[in-house]
Amino acid sequence: MPSHFLLMVLYALLVSVFFTALWRRERRDQVRLFLQLFLGLVVGALVVAWLMFPFPSGPPTPAP
Amino acid sequence: MSAPERKGASAAEPEGTPDRAWLAAGAALLVPGLGHLLLGRRARALLFAVLVLGALAVDVVLGGPLPYFEEGIINTLLTLASMGVGLPYFVLRMTGYHGEALSLGFEYGKAFIATAGLMNLLLVLDAWDIASGRKE
Repeated sequence: MPSHFLLMVLYALLVSVFFTALWRRERRDQVRLFLQLFLGLVVGALVVAWLMFPFPSGPPTPAP
Repeated sequence: MSAPERKGASAAEPEGTPDRAWLAAGAALLVPGLGHLLLGRRARALLFAVLVLGALAVDVVLGGPLPYFEEGIINTLLTLASMGVGLPYFVLRMTGYHGEALSLGFEYGKAFIATAGLMNLLLVLDAWDIASGRKE
């Protein structure tokens, strides 16, 4: 399985391209919205992860 | 009654007729991108199909679930969102695919398939708007 981070980036990429194609027609607007969405999702997730780091959810679940 | 006297005669109607909107929305609901293809947006249709079906494919590759009504409101909502993918969801179900609950990517797959379904539901609305003349 790819890393969690790569999956998150792939998810952000899919969603960003989708909404860019859905909401914008002009190329310049598309680039701007894509960057806003993509960076917002990836950087936002990293910031939230960083803020949550001091609060672990508990001991890791044993592997089945 | 002659044609010009009819209420809502074609001259006064917007470009998109209700029939066309229903057809485009129905097609979009069945197959991702088909609604836009019928409306002549070929490149856009291809892109949307790749995005929605790609997200579904990621779910399958990760061993993610194919949600079906189970106990709880969350599972019901997840199932309805996933069914938004349209025919590919039901085709996958007919093949007997259920996902691998022990797969490390199971939960990630859940996010991808729900997103794929919700994206396609937005495409249905978009196709409706285009066909009814509300959007270019």
